[in-house]
Amino acid sequence: MAGFLSAHGYDPGPTQRPLLAGCIAGVLAAIPAVGVLWKFGSIFVEATILGLTVPLTLACGFAAMACAGALYGRLFGRAANDRLGGWLFGMAFGFALWAAGAAFVLPIVSRGSTPAGPAALGVAVSLLVWGFAVGLIFPIIHPYLHEKLETGSTSRDVGPRAAASNGKRAKGRGASHSL
Amino acid sequence: MEAVSYALKALGLPVFDLAAELGSVVDGGNRTLGIAAGLLAHAGVGIAWALFYAYFFWGRFDWPRLVQGLVFATIPAVLAVAIVVPQLHLMQLHTDIARVQWRDMPFLSAGQIASIFLVHAIYGVTVGAIYRRPVGYRAGHSPPPPPPARRMERTPDRGRRDPHGFLFATGIECSYPTIDGGRWRRDQLQSTGHYRHWQQDFELCRKMGITHLRYGPPLHLIFTAPGKYDWAWVDEPMAELERYGPEPIVDLCHFGIPDWLGSLENPDLPQALGEYAAAFAERYPWVRFYTPVNEMFVCTRMSAIDGNWNDQKEDDGAFVAIAFNLASASIAMSDAILNVRPDAVFINSESSDFTQPCCPDPQIVELAELENERRFLPLDLIYAHDLSDRMKAHVRERGIADDLLLRFRNREVPRRSVLGLDYYEWNERLIDTDGNIRSLGELFGWYVIANQYYQRYRRPMMHTETNRMDASDAPRWLWRQWHNVQLLRKAGVPLVGFTWYSLTDQIDWNIGLSEALGLVFPVGLFDLNRDVRVVGLAYKQLIDMFRDEPDFRDCKDLAELMN
Repeated sequence: MAGFLSAHGYDPGPTQRPLLAGCIAGVLAAIPAVGVLWKFGSIFVEATILGLTVPLTLACGFAAMACAGALYGRLFGRAANDRLGGWLFGMAFGFALWAAGAAFVLPIVSRGSTPAGPAALGVAVSLLVWGFAVGLIFPIIHPYLHEKLETGSTSRDVGPRAAASNGKRAKGRGASHSL
Repeated sequence: MEAVSYALKALGLPVFDLAAELGSVVDGGNRTLGIAAGLLAHAGVGIAWALFYAYFFWGRFDWPRLVQGLVFATIPAVLAVAIVVPQLHLMQLHTDIARVQWRDMPFLSAGQIASIFLVHAIYGVTVGAIYRRPVGYRAGHSPPPPPPARRMERTPDRGRRDPHGFLFATGIECSYPTIDGGRWRRDQLQSTGHYRHWQQDFELCRKMGITHLRYGPPLHLIFTAPGKYDWAWVDEPMAELERYGPEPIVDLCHFGIPDWLGSLENPDLPQALGEYAAAFAERYPWVRFYTPVNEMFVCTRMSAIDGNWNDQKEDDGAFVAIAFNLASASIAMSDAILNVRPDAVFINSESSDFTQPCCPDPQIVELAELENERRFLPLDLIYAHDLSDRMKAHVRERGIADDLLLRFRNREVPRRSVLGLDYYEWNERLIDTDGNIRSLGELFGWYVIANQYYQRYRRPMMHTETNRMDASDAPRWLWRQWHNVQLLRKAGVPLVGFTWYSLTDQIDWNIGLSEALGLVFPVGLFDLNRDVRVVGLAYKQLIDMFRDEPDFRDCKDLAELMN
């Protein structure tokens, strides 16, 4: 999977915070998605299926979307920072969430009950909207969370000790002298 | 895809009409509207999948394009059968909650499933056929030109503070060879987004503390015909560099030539490039540092032996002819620049190579010796160094006359010539028992290989390129290269600069640009979004740590060179 996601050199490295950025973007993107769920009546159907109150369902939904956003940041790495392509990656991820969540997870959690009719349509549209929004928001907020050049460059991990293999202290005969 | 779907339906085959099914969710009783909406939605989904294919799937396997598209299309096909169709059925129920049981799922007939896979296969093959060369452009065409400069805050240029300070450099990757028989132009300045982000790229250099920038304006776009130049490609970037820094080391010819010059064997090439160099130096008389022809040996090998670029030959005779032609061009360019700027400094960048025979087999040893002499050929010519007897015989056999050899040998090499040596993990090679060349990694290291070059030419030197494809290992590689530089300086070699190449990630780096795949390789100080990589942090720390050391702040070797 990671090999396929190597656009932009994939690995965010220690200079970026894709999990935090994804979390925040996931929560923010959930706001329009909840609007869609409300419009289609899906939120009430989901609450009924899960046996929760609507506020509690919303709270669970926001928490789940925060986790989903973090997963988006982790999976897409530096590609998620792309301001041009982000919306597309987000929608693709939203589609995957819908496929996994609506088709498998929700029926399993609710012992076979799943939204149908307009409520099912609302769930699909809301996750596409969520994905679109998360893909748009992520590259906007992530730069504020990056390690800055001035501070990041003072880290000992990127200093001269990096020249030693794996940055480990030498072991063995003749290598243990210290000043 | 839809056309085939409807054609099959018209033939009475059991086709599952996904677009109609999509549309039926929103048709509200109007079937035509529903089908139109379904087609539109399906087209949108198709475009999204195609973009996804381009971004993440294309070029990952060494398969024919159509096969890549076909394999990719199985993903949406499987999702359609397993997820989308059942969900569309659920959406059409007149209830809010349904009990999902396996036996209630809307099973499709084998024919319908086959039709879904068939139309998706057509989609995949079409995408595979259309999506061919995502980077570069047809030879003779131009990419969109750089946008005008905008107002922005600029970080002060560190290079100006110390006129004889050690050169802490990076480069904007700018290779522009042609491939595919001269029909397709690779252009790294375009692929890496430099034309769009040129101002931001210079600012990133200043933020890093970079003092000098290896910068190659696009020769093929500027030099449009004999005596004709389109300076719009470079006027504003050069003005920005002049005013705000960093100081450019202008790379005039980087692996490619304008279309109208045709072949690297063209005998008019030296004179034409000399004319270009003169025009450039006259237009930007403040430029002091030049690389007339970058990595002549690499350009020659890739164009004449490996068959990848430009002339795309696999012929030792062509190798010799192109090596001599590029060396002549380099000399013509240097001479032309000196006429305008007598104190110009030439950084003659070349790949530092070494080939090790694997065993005492005379044929293998002979091959390795030939490689180890051939690597010196272009530098021998521009630095007026004697060719070895073996190499003399080799070039004579391939049509080089003695008087031409003598002309190179008697050349007066400009005093301010710096031997620039590039080094990567594949520069040390082994000739295996089967005669194949394999990469050795860092066996002897840059210190040993660079010293071989120094002993031969006795010129001031600069480490002009290095990077690492494994981004997480790049800081280790950076510091190890730096330790090589320090050790060589301590050994008394006049070394005036160091370069991490390049500022941003590069495209198709692993295959030497030989195919236009558009794959990104994380070798830059910054990624293509211009976000810093960990090696960028490491290089900044390195610069901050050493730049104020007396030995680096006032580099006596550079001072001697400049005076």
